[in-house]
Amino acid sequence: MTMTPAAWDGSAAPAPASAARRFGISPLVGILAALLLVFLVPPTIYLVQTSLYTTNYDGSFDQFTFRFYIELFTNPRFFNNLVNASIYAIGSAAVALTLGTLQAWIVERTNTPLRQYVFLISIVSLGIPSVLYTVSFLLILGKAGPINQLLMELTGSATPLLNVYSMWGMVIIEGIDFAPLTFLLLSSVFRSNDASFEEASMMSGAGISQTFRHITLRLATPGIMALLILIFIRAFESFETPALVGRPGNVNVLTTDIYQSIQATNPPNYGQAGAFSMALMLIVILLLIWYNRLSRHAEKYQTITGKGFRPRAMDLGKWRFLTAGLLVLMFIIMIGLPVGIVIYASFLPYYEGVTAKSLTQFTLANYAQVFNSASFKGAIGNTLILGAATASLVCPFTALCAWLAARRHRGAWILDQLATMPLIFPAIVMGVAFLNVFLHMPFALYGTLLSVILASMVRYLPYGMRYSYAGVLQVHRELEEASSLSGARQSTTFLRIVVPLITPALITCWLFVFLLSVKAVAAQILLVGPRSQVIAVTLFDLWENGQVTELAAMGVTWMSLMTVVSTIFYLIARRYGLSIR
Amino acid sequence: MTSRIVNRTNSRDILSALAISAALLWAAPAHALTQAEIGDLQGPERQKILEDGARKEGKVTIYSGMIVDQALRPITEAFMKKYPYIKAEYWRADSNKIVQKILAEARAKSIVADVAESTSLSEPLIKANVVLPFNSPQLEAYPADYRDPRRFWGATRFSYFGVAYNTNMIKAADAPKSYEDLLDPKWKGKLAWREGSDSGNLLFITNIIMEMGEQKADAYFQKLAQQKIVNFTGSARTLVNNVMSGEYPMALNIFLHHPVISAQKGAPVAALPLQPVPSLNGTVLFVKGAPNPHAAMLLIDYMLSKEGQATLEAADYLPAHPDASTNAILASIIPKKAGLKENFITPQKLFDLNDKAEDALKKYFKN
Repeated sequence: MTMTPAAWDGSAAPAPASAARRFGISPLVGILAALLLVFLVPPTIYLVQTSLYTTNYDGSFDQFTFRFYIELFTNPRFFNNLVNASIYAIGSAAVALTLGTLQAWIVERTNTPLRQYVFLISIVSLGIPSVLYTVSFLLILGKAGPINQLLMELTGSATPLLNVYSMWGMVIIEGIDFAPLTFLLLSSVFRSNDASFEEASMMSGAGISQTFRHITLRLATPGIMALLILIFIRAFESFETPALVGRPGNVNVLTTDIYQSIQATNPPNYGQAGAFSMALMLIVILLLIWYNRLSRHAEKYQTITGKGFRPRAMDLGKWRFLTAGLLVLMFIIMIGLPVGIVIYASFLPYYEGVTAKSLTQFTLANYAQVFNSASFKGAIGNTLILGAATASLVCPFTALCAWLAARRHRGAWILDQLATMPLIFPAIVMGVAFLNVFLHMPFALYGTLLSVILASMVRYLPYGMRYSYAGVLQVHRELEEASSLSGARQSTTFLRIVVPLITPALITCWLFVFLLSVKAVAAQILLVGPRSQVIAVTLFDLWENGQVTELAAMGVTWMSLMTVVSTIFYLIARRYGLSIR
Repeated sequence: MTSRIVNRTNSRDILSALAISAALLWAAPAHALTQAEIGDLQGPERQKILEDGARKEGKVTIYSGMIVDQALRPITEAFMKKYPYIKAEYWRADSNKIVQKILAEARAKSIVADVAESTSLSEPLIKANVVLPFNSPQLEAYPADYRDPRRFWGATRFSYFGVAYNTNMIKAADAPKSYEDLLDPKWKGKLAWREGSDSGNLLFITNIIMEMGEQKADAYFQKLAQQKIVNFTGSARTLVNNVMSGEYPMALNIFLHHPVISAQKGAPVAALPLQPVPSLNGTVLFVKGAPNPHAAMLLIDYMLSKEGQATLEAADYLPAHPDASTNAILASIIPKKAGLKENFITPQKLFDLNDKAEDALKKYFKN
């Protein structure tokens, strides 16, 4: 352990250092851990408390009770919603995986034309707020939408045939929404497969589809399985699609019930929301344990070995035009149609499907409204600040934690555990927890942008940890040892050697945390006030208030802005060879 | 341009001079007025004190349930024209969300709202002690029913509730004529109502309980539950938009003026009052701890004034001011004018029956 520093010079006070040393924790680790605990403990405590106390009319805690848990387990609605949530999560995971796997295979393992654009498109699509994405599919698949119009035309039916406000609607929309992320995560799995297995299969006379099924897919199975659970968890705790698609169709899940107990019950039923949140959290914990077990056995399938590893693309021959066609088709379904319908709706006075009449009514009024509205400008500013602040707080912090953990500083494993802990809070549950923290603060924090940033920072810590870890692991210890041997102090080594080396990973981290935090609704919807409106929540409110065409204009404006951000990032990434996974 | 600025500066100086002298004349001690005192202001100096205070505040925030593009935006814009030095900001949400937000702000000691306006939010706010009583000279024109004896609210508008249906999908002759008609199996899966709002399905249930009595109402709900009503969660206006676009053929318990407004513009929708027609009044309240109390009072005055009420009339809303006229096209949905039986539910009564309605909703329609 020559590399373990006695103390982090400068920053650690001597008194806590000696105390912390006794527990096998280096002082710096102790300080960072304490910081994390400050942000993690209060929301957890308040969440548990909320579920165990009745709430007074003014919102203060009243009496201790198990009532909310008893109600939870005696209410058939809870189990019904649990079943709904499971079907929905499995279904959307299947849709996302099918689309993502196909895309990742075509892009990573074949010589299909156009494949190089899929990355750019996937990253751009990450910038579309989920609410906007969901709304666009409601406009397409709704009873007044073009698909139903077409079907009615074809079948001669007088009433719409498809009801998107249903389980299948939720599954399809959520599945398509997750597909780009699935693709990004899976492409690295496919890339790291050794092509010699596939070549051997082809040489032994197996066809492309046979090779894909028996070799490529088999080798990628652990990666895909782990991803399946990950998407399952995300769908299970997702809020936007169930709220906008499921609730109108009476398909309820746990997250929408939590939202309902607070926002649509008078007075807000915090106890019920707390009990539901605890139940949801428990389920997510169990799923995460399962996920960790599965990903632990992944090394059985490792194909990157010491011998000359070169991933190579498979030559599809003339079939490559078919796969190119598939890519184009997927692009149309996943980006073309939803973005198209939003742009179309943004020029209409009111939306009533795609009709000849609407074409004559094109107007710029929605854009005029959007650009003249102070609240919209405020929302854009708030959202950019939120995203930038979250990313700027999370990435350097997790980079330091990741480095300490990777270099096995005494006790640094605690940092890893703590920084990943927020994963067990579904976004809406984190909203409930932080809402209660802010409501109990002695000073005014509720409803401010700062409060939204703090909650968002905690929410995206695990994501930051993941990207930072990946960066730190790539840096070999030798370089740091060389620095130390030349007499550099630990802090100098970190700032002059480690930081420059992991900068690409930090930039990737920054962009992803930025994009994820600005598109979210669930974590923020319970926290924002009229002075701290953010784009995603504003879009959600506009949908509920029926201002669909204004929503579309606002959505188009925001998407354009995010596309510029993502494209700049993509170009930087290509220029400097950054990893975009 | 220059002369206008000079004029404004002059008038501002004069006004502040007047305000200072008014404050000196005022019997109250020399300290700045507390919010409660601002609410209680009366007499000839009131307007000047308010305007002077509002100039310093420079803004005001209202939480309201009025639909933004129809009424909320026009009325705040008209207010800003009258008082160019006050920037009026609004946040639109359904009553429950407004109540939740204001309670949370009060608890967190981080109050943003100055004024709250909507149907069915007055009692919860009064009960939670987050609003203050106020005087407004504008209220003198209103009959006693339209203002709170405790001075917590004034009536801003009326709302009559009933059915809206898509005229392309349902012929007028086939439309239901009574609440009993809604039980016809042919409506199964075709009805939607608003969930999560006091003026949504809860009001429908409250009205039925008041009309039929608890036992008969229970039997009615049991049958109505067979119709598998869609629990819609957006605003009432959004629900009517969905009826227009054909998403749902028929909606229960929406604001009847919404389909009338849209039908006027050629949308395939009709308003259908069922008897008794439940009605509520919208109320405006003065939020305790309002950061801009002077501007808040000016906004409340304006909303209750004939001038402010005229913007509601122009939006085809149903203003509460006794002198304000309502658009002729709305006559068919105003029970008094159309000769229909009305059930006017006061905020107090709605609040008292809330638990019973919630129970019925949970028992029959939420599983």
